[in-house]
Amino acid sequence: MTEANNIFNAVPCTFCGCLCDDIIIEVDGNRIVKNTNGCAISKERFIGHAENRCLEPTVSGKTVSLEKAIERAVEIITSSKRLLIYGLSSTENDAQREAYRLAELTGSVVDNTTSVCHGPTILGAQESGEATSSLAEVRHRSDLVIYWGANPAAAHPRHIPHYIRQPGEYIKDPKNDRKIWLIDIRETTTARMVDRFIRIEPRTDLEVIQTLRALIRGHKLDVSQVGGISIADLEEIAIAMKSAKYGTLFFGLGLTQSWGRHRNIDAAIRLIQDLNAHTKWGLLPMRGHYNVSGANKTSTWVTGYPYAVDFARGYPRFSPGEYTAVDMLARGEADALLNIAADPVAHFPRSAVSHLTKIPVINIDPKINMTSQVAEVNIPAAIAGIECDGAATRMDGLPLYLRKVIEPPEGVIPDRDILRMIIKSLEKVMK
Amino acid sequence: MNSGSVYVLVTSGRTLSQGRAMEKGKMTSDYEDAVAVCELDATSMESLGIENGETVVVKSGIGEIAVKAKLNKNLHPGLAFIPCGPYFNYLLDSYTQHTGMPGFKSLAVTIDAAPEMKISTIEELAKKIKEGK
Amino acid sequence: MTEHLILKNGVVFDPMNGVEGEVMDICVSEGKIVEKAPSNAKVIDLKGNTVMAGGVDPHSHILGSKLNVARVVSPDVNRHHPYPATKKTRSGVAGIIPSSFATGFLYSAMGYTTVVEPALPATKALGAWEEIEDIPGLDIAMLPLFCNSMISFKYVQDGDISGLAAYIAWTLKKVGGLGVKVVNPGGTYAWAYGKNVCGLDDEVPEWDVTPRTIMTGLAEAVQELGLPHQMHFHPTNLGRPGNVHTTMQQLDAIGGIKPSGKKKEVVHLTHMAFDCLGVVEEGMSNWKDVASGGLTFADYYNKHKHFTVDLGQITFGQSMTMTGDGPFQHSLYLLTGGKAKWSNIPVDVELPGGAGIVPFTFEPKSPANAVQWVGSLEFALNIKDLWRMFLSTDHPNGGPFLKYPLLISWLMSKKQREHWLGKVHKFASERSTLAEIEREYSLNDIAITTRAAPAKILGLEKTKGHLGLGADADIAVYGFNPEKTDLANNPDLILKHFLQTEFTFKGGLQVSKKGIVGKQLHSRVISVHPELNQDLSQRIDRELEEMMSKWFSHSFSNYPVPKRYREHLEMPTVIDSTAVKA
Repeated sequence: MTEANNIFNAVPCTFCGCLCDDIIIEVDGNRIVKNTNGCAISKERFIGHAENRCLEPTVSGKTVSLEKAIERAVEIITSSKRLLIYGLSSTENDAQREAYRLAELTGSVVDNTTSVCHGPTILGAQESGEATSSLAEVRHRSDLVIYWGANPAAAHPRHIPHYIRQPGEYIKDPKNDRKIWLIDIRETTTARMVDRFIRIEPRTDLEVIQTLRALIRGHKLDVSQVGGISIADLEEIAIAMKSAKYGTLFFGLGLTQSWGRHRNIDAAIRLIQDLNAHTKWGLLPMRGHYNVSGANKTSTWVTGYPYAVDFARGYPRFSPGEYTAVDMLARGEADALLNIAADPVAHFPRSAVSHLTKIPVINIDPKINMTSQVAEVNIPAAIAGIECDGAATRMDGLPLYLRKVIEPPEGVIPDRDILRMIIKSLEKVMK
Repeated sequence: MNSGSVYVLVTSGRTLSQGRAMEKGKMTSDYEDAVAVCELDATSMESLGIENGETVVVKSGIGEIAVKAKLNKNLHPGLAFIPCGPYFNYLLDSYTQHTGMPGFKSLAVTIDAAPEMKISTIEELAKKIKEGK
Repeated sequence: MTEHLILKNGVVFDPMNGVEGEVMDICVSEGKIVEKAPSNAKVIDLKGNTVMAGGVDPHSHILGSKLNVARVVSPDVNRHHPYPATKKTRSGVAGIIPSSFATGFLYSAMGYTTVVEPALPATKALGAWEEIEDIPGLDIAMLPLFCNSMISFKYVQDGDISGLAAYIAWTLKKVGGLGVKVVNPGGTYAWAYGKNVCGLDDEVPEWDVTPRTIMTGLAEAVQELGLPHQMHFHPTNLGRPGNVHTTMQQLDAIGGIKPSGKKKEVVHLTHMAFDCLGVVEEGMSNWKDVASGGLTFADYYNKHKHFTVDLGQITFGQSMTMTGDGPFQHSLYLLTGGKAKWSNIPVDVELPGGAGIVPFTFEPKSPANAVQWVGSLEFALNIKDLWRMFLSTDHPNGGPFLKYPLLISWLMSKKQREHWLGKVHKFASERSTLAEIEREYSLNDIAITTRAAPAKILGLEKTKGHLGLGADADIAVYGFNPEKTDLANNPDLILKHFLQTEFTFKGGLQVSKKGIVGKQLHSRVISVHPELNQDLSQRIDRELEEMMSKWFSHSFSNYPVPKRYREHLEMPTVIDSTAVKA
């Protein structure tokens, strides 16, 4: 850690899965005054860290002490028969590990936000494996980079400028030696940053991928177009993919959330595997929350499974579609929710949200969010990577150490410590 | 049925202002401004007879919500866009095809001009949800 | 919490101290084996039980991104193997790639107390340390990979062994490693180009290095530093019929390196079952012609003393292949006709091409699998010096570590071998001499090859692998009386007793009884910190900052694993490497 005159160098940014770790943060007293190198969102995250904060614990809207809030949380947990623990992607690994311990202790379900972002990516990999890539390797070697159903300009603002449109050891001139393409149903801002935009019809991703696979395998197809692209164009794309030296496919929620879900990913993985018979290709999901990769990793080493884990029987079981948060809520199965570092009220579909307004909710978050509005218990938390340290995992699997650059507001503690307090009280009650 | 209706697939997704506002805080007017929006192509705007910034109502199989219309010249006719967030999700059913993942992309909706309707603030929306409306 | 113990009347096998089946008492105090325990020591009567030092496993993939990818991709292999929580222990899954807590518990139940993760991508070391928090009851060490890094290549290309040694020393300190792992030198790098290497002098793309210069350079650097564990080596051509010959060529090449200390061995050849396949006479290098390479390699082993070996025994049934050998894993995927779930993980410039993972089932009726199975057994039963060999399944490649009892039964019981020869494809009998081998390992032989020898091979023999004074009180008590139990004729008893000890003690604390783990202990991490002279230390700081800043996608200062994750776990041994010239 380098720290001089309240300037912190090489700070990882805890916004998106890029975890850019070249951020320079300048602190003046108890304020962050400058974020150098960060994208617009990163700047908002660091400089605006004090805005819209939840500063005091509340129970049913009334301010209480932390101990009182924990006490009520423990009451909710012990009187619940089917607790759902959810969130965890915008916090550091230790908090996640405590959440699994709590789930095990209480026989609950624990799910992270993967289920509504790259859950289908994992399901696809369970069908077919996963030939991945890494950001350094892409920078040094990749001469053809394709984004599919991803909009990094909005969601991962430095992905292209910081990692991809950069010279590498074997790509000296990133403008000419490396081609960047975008395939999407919408001409997004990213379309303006790439060398070529290919528009496909909504709900045709799977067909287009399978067509490319067929063409790459040398089959002739007797149709004139697929997904709004002519076969001639698709043939030309297939040839370009086969003749790249090192290709990379970055894919986003445009593939995982759309028509076909995991089948899209399964096909994309097989496409990459097929291409490896000709040349070198890898793929990487554009992970959104900065530590959603970490949530999958910690969940996997602790429970054996990456998300959607149920401890009702005293050991972990995995069943996406059953123990995933949206399904648990939409079925009306969860009778209490412990939400950590996520905002399901803002991000879940209506009937799932409607159920969670009917059950007691414990919400742990640094900020006031929509879930705070419906939660019975709100407990403020320190912001990981700004107000407390920890570890997180970049979208390509690289672990990074997060910094504490400033003290949290008075009385506010990290997620992991809040969870430890809950566990400790529970252990007393359960004895 | 209103003769000025347009039928489109609406998709949700990230925008830079949505991301910035979310980081700042969800209970801010920035956030509402960023997500209570429906981007439409020029043809749809024209057939609805509305200008940039006017209110439209978006109806899906399970509900309707008023948002601000925004012209996006790069959108292809037949497709509309609402930033991911509570306004889009208000229209979305929870069916996940047993994968855990709802259909956040390409939801079939009807859009009408709704000059008389008020766009709910985040607080109002939260309240609406809480009251089960 | 320390315990004083007197373990009375057990039948002790402690080959490092020349004890072979003697009834004796073992005293334990403050985690160590001592001459005499204090008067308040707890006495446990072990009459009629077999006592050995805790098992030492220097090659088992128990953590890291490749294991997590395997777990994510194949939940099916763990689904039917729950490991429930108890009041004192955490839950998990216990299939062929157990979750972290279960991994520690299952090893404890088997009497193992020291385990080495043999493939650590150093850039991902932080995650490894976090995982160790959740793998209880073991002393753990890690071997970072150096074989396909552009930084290694730069020093090898320049013939700068000091620079290479300093890079190793720097990395071991910054990430907390024990030694140097080499996997398919040059080949995994070439995989970034969709290529591989096979010959010793093949070109590596873009660099003026070859498999030969990389492997000899790294072996030499390890000797220069005086690391306690010799270079841990996965050769090129893994899993290729006839590769026993190229493996011997590679060992010959490394044999030229002079040992710097007392230890004569300069390289450890790992998972020989995958490296020493033969072919039938006048056969070609393909699976149709594969034959056991066991005898050929045993003969080479008996004549050459500069290396050590582990088996990497395949055990049939479902396994999970995972190596840092990207191109090999891809070829395995192609072998399944592209049906298998193939995963590949590149790890930045530290290891372009990186790990590959393919779930694989070894079928007894498959001629190729049967021959691979027989080769390593034939080798183990034909070597003279057991002190240079240890048992492994290259968990989870050849099968999970839970199959060690099965491997022990094949070595200890001719009856068991005959039974299995009847179950597997006839090529196992026709293309090897296993059916005629009479030799059966004794309990002492098992004690050598599962604790004493591996401890020595790792350079941990001072505290591990034996029960002499000053050793760590890591003790396995097996619930059979060796004087009255005919294991060779009752192989099922071998399976039973070696899967679950009567007691396992770790650092003097009882962690399990009759296979039930009742105590969740924090693991510790064994590492080596080589001290360089000031000039070399300054040079490497400067040079690495320059190279890493250029080649890594993250900041140089974020490479080391911070103290906060290490200091409560790590037991570093500082070694004097100041003699390495700047």
